[in-house]
Formats: sequence, structure tokens, C-alpha cells
Amino acid sequence: MPVVDTKNFGRVEYEEEAALEFPRGLPGFEERRGFLPLHQPENDPLIFLQSLEDPGLCFVTIPVQVVDPGYRLEAEAEDLAAIGLPASPRIGTEAFCFAVLSIQEEGPTANLLAPVVLNPATRKCVQAVAVSSGYSHRHPLCVEEAAAC
Amino acid sequence: MLMMSRREGEVILIGEEIEIVIAHIGRSRVKVGIRAPRTTAVVAREVKLVREENRAAAGLDAGVSAARILKVLQREPMR
Repeated sequence: MPVVDTKNFGRVEYEEEAALEFPRGLPGFEERRGFLPLHQPENDPLIFLQSLEDPGLCFVTIPVQVVDPGYRLEAEAEDLAAIGLPASPRIGTEAFCFAVLSIQEEGPTANLLAPVVLNPATRKCVQAVAVSSGYSHRHPLCVEEAAAC
Repeated sequence: MLMMSRREGEVILIGEEIEIVIAHIGRSRVKVGIRAPRTTAVVAREVKLVREENRAAAGLDAGVSAARILKVLQREPMR
């Protein structure tokens, strides 16, 4: 079984079929094509996207529905075609969407403007910049310390 | 900001080497052709935002940030 040195979890053994391929990389990381999704029960619903080529590169992601249950995927048809998806794939069956998380001064934010779209049939992914979706690249998860989200 | 009105098929020049062609005007979107030297990066502004956001996201310490994010999601990590 292949192994990968991860940024946060030491050396991890994985099934070849678990790996994800980003044929175009991600914006800013165009040369990084192979990633391994890591989910641990204690960090649910977070999914860590560990680069297979750069041990120091790992994104923290979350299924978009956790952030916005009514999320609509409005990616460009060309981006979806690049991973073998039709123009309006059914989310949850034909395609899965994850938001890359970052932390701003005000608290954690999710990049809903550019979801990572996975085609489970091919294990191929694209980070699709949905230019006309109206979603923010820094959608607040919630204000920290707030009583209710 | 300089504002210009152009019709479909018309062209705007920026300097000597950059040409912007108004290729098609739709109901809510405009298709624009851009001819520029290879050394000039041409991307939608959103792509630049995503690139910067990805670089910021890649800099997170996943262990620390996961705990912080999970707290915000009101799901205490089960340890």
C-alpha cells in the first residue's frame, strides 16, 4: 500500500483508490495534482486534503452543505467537463462539493466562490471558480464566541 | 476610471500590445476576447482572489485551526 508523509498526521498508509486527482491543480497550486482526503471521526465534519506531492501542503475543507444547506453549484460547464461531469450534476450523487476553509481575524471562513467539486465516478476534482454565483470566497462560518450560529 | 462604450465586435487597445475585443453581448454577460503578450497574466478577478485565498488556507496549522473551526461549528472534538 502506498504511504504519504502528511503535514499533521505523520506517515499515513492509504488505498490507491482513495486518492483524488486534480488534473489542473488548484489556483495558486497548479502543479499539485494528487491529494488524499483524510477524515477522522474526532474532526468530523472536516476533511483534510493532503497533497501527495508536498507533505507540507494540506487544506482544511468541509462539505458545502454544512456551511449552507441550500448551496447551489454554479460552476462553469467547462470546469465540470474537465472532470467528466455534466453541466448541472446532482449534488450528493453525481458530484460532491467541499469548501476550502481559512481563518480571518473575525473567525473561520469558507470559500463558497470556488468549491472543490469531486466526481466520485472518476475520483477527479476541480476547484471551480463560480464567477457568476454571487458566493463569497470568505463566507463566515459564524462569528466566534457567538451564542448561536 | 476611464469609461468607454463599445458595440459588439469593437476593439479597445491598451498600450501597444494588448487588445480587448467585445466578442459578444448577451443579456447579462459579455464575452470578451483578449490578446496580450504571453508574459501578461490574464485572469478573472475571482481567480486571483481564489489563488490568494488558497495560499492563506494552505498556511493554516490544521491541528490548531481544526479545533477552532469545530468550536465555531459547535461540535467539540471528541477526545
